[in-house]
Amino acid sequence: MSGFFAVYRREMTSLWVTPLAWVLLVVFLLLQGTIFYSIVVHFSSLADLAVESGPVEAYFGQESVFLLMTLLLVCPALTMRSFAEERRSGTIETLLTAPVTAAGVVLGKYAAVLTTYVAMWAPTVLYVVILRKTGAVSWGAVASSYLGLFGVGAAYLGLGTLTSAMTKSQLVALLLSIFLQFGLFVLGVGEYVFEAGVFRDFCAYISVASQMEEMSRGIVDLRRLVFDASVAVASLFVTARVVDSWRWG
Amino acid sequence: MIEVEKLTKDYGTTVAVRDLSFSVGKGEIVGFLGPNGAGKSTTLRILAGFLGATSGSVRVAGFDVAKESLAARRALGYMPEAAPLHPELRVREYLDFRAALKRVPRRERKNAVARALELAAVTDVSETLVGHLSKGYRQRVALADALVSKPPLLILDEPTSGLDPNQILEVRKLVRELGKSHTLLLSTHILSEVEVVCDRAIVIARGRLVGEGTLAELKARRKGRKLVLGLRGTEENARRALLAVAGVAAIECEAAGDSGEAQRVTLDVNDDAEPDLVAERAVAALVAAGLGVRSIARESASLEDVFQELTRGEAKESRDGEP
Repeated sequence: MSGFFAVYRREMTSLWVTPLAWVLLVVFLLLQGTIFYSIVVHFSSLADLAVESGPVEAYFGQESVFLLMTLLLVCPALTMRSFAEERRSGTIETLLTAPVTAAGVVLGKYAAVLTTYVAMWAPTVLYVVILRKTGAVSWGAVASSYLGLFGVGAAYLGLGTLTSAMTKSQLVALLLSIFLQFGLFVLGVGEYVFEAGVFRDFCAYISVASQMEEMSRGIVDLRRLVFDASVAVASLFVTARVVDSWRWG
Repeated sequence: MIEVEKLTKDYGTTVAVRDLSFSVGKGEIVGFLGPNGAGKSTTLRILAGFLGATSGSVRVAGFDVAKESLAARRALGYMPEAAPLHPELRVREYLDFRAALKRVPRRERKNAVARALELAAVTDVSETLVGHLSKGYRQRVALADALVSKPPLLILDEPTSGLDPNQILEVRKLVRELGKSHTLLLSTHILSEVEVVCDRAIVIARGRLVGEGTLAELKARRKGRKLVLGLRGTEENARRALLAVAGVAAIECEAAGDSGEAQRVTLDVNDDAEPDLVAERAVAALVAAGLGVRSIARESASLEDVFQELTRGEAKESRDGEP
């Protein structure tokens, strides 16, 4: 873990003093705002409302496909520079000749993008605060929705960190990680495509859309979180091995 | 401080370093010389722990770089070629990050950074963005980075590459200054640099050690095989007398002065003859022929010649060795 805090601090500084994090934040919030606005407008035209299927639940749950689409772009963009940039500019040489471990470097970089991801979601709490004035909001369901988003983000950012370590080109890292995340997303859609059986169960298990749908209703299924954590941990483990392997290239 | 034994690095398509052994003692300033592509950077990267060796052992400050990598990396300050830096940080921020990474305790960090800024003479740009610095400053910031954790050993890969002559002089001065309190290994392909800065040189070519020793020793290894004589007499007489001397391969005459009476003669000595004996015989022959010998000297090889000779021989050898 040697080097974790130094790397974390440097990554946070570099993310937020360059335009990247700010551009992503603006694009992200504009998209989220638009999606949420559309959903609220839609619900306001409906005659009767049940608490368990209000606009907040729709935003995080049934209509989560929109929100997940923005993640497919935002998460890879956050992680693409992690290693690719350092390898292209050569700073990886100064980094790895300092007394640091591969685990420390990988986790430091990952923690920084995960923190940034959380920071990007933070302003969206305001949506719920505003809506609270017009009707009842189940705060438990909101909390579990954010937990679900955190899980999806943790998995996506793990995959992104891995692809960033696999290439010197940020663009290739971006495309690879979009591909992986989109693949994961599409596999989840298999839940509605295949006949009942092992494969459909598998698809249902890894479906991020279903995960959000459940969590938006306040159902916290530990298996969902275990899956997200497994993707993140496996990706980071492989990333650390990749970093170590550079010494032998 | 550095012990390299039978180091080999095989990239698969090329063998960058072959069976290289050398050592650097405490307090020495050693120049690591070789033409471009000789394996200098590869060797230094292995020393710094950035690359792994294919075979052989490397110890830095008493630690094996493969088995006790962290301890070895803590003991050295490494400056890679081209001085890669993070352009988005300010110089002070960058050095603070590097100090933290090299585990300088938090309360000492500020002083350590100030000291490194001072030593590398970059205090005046400490609040400038690294991306806005000139090449000379970038190089010195990279040097400050190598110094920030006060390592006893510094490894610098081409510290003067890409600098203008004034900056080169400054960096050399700095390196000499640092040499008083550090063990230093620096690579270069500029010979005069080694002459000015280093106590000792290690010469490699094609990944192999081709020469090692103090500068005087290296020069002695390729003592000139040429004799230069100053004579009084005509060119014709001089040539006739010298042709009869055993061991003379070629004669070159040049009139010295306007009268045509004095000559400057350069003799090439045969490879199998001893230059000192040839000198004796040549003087005797000239005197016997009635010419006045005014001076005789053995031309000493310049470092450039030594370098060329060492590296060229190796290149030929390894080409022969390939199927």
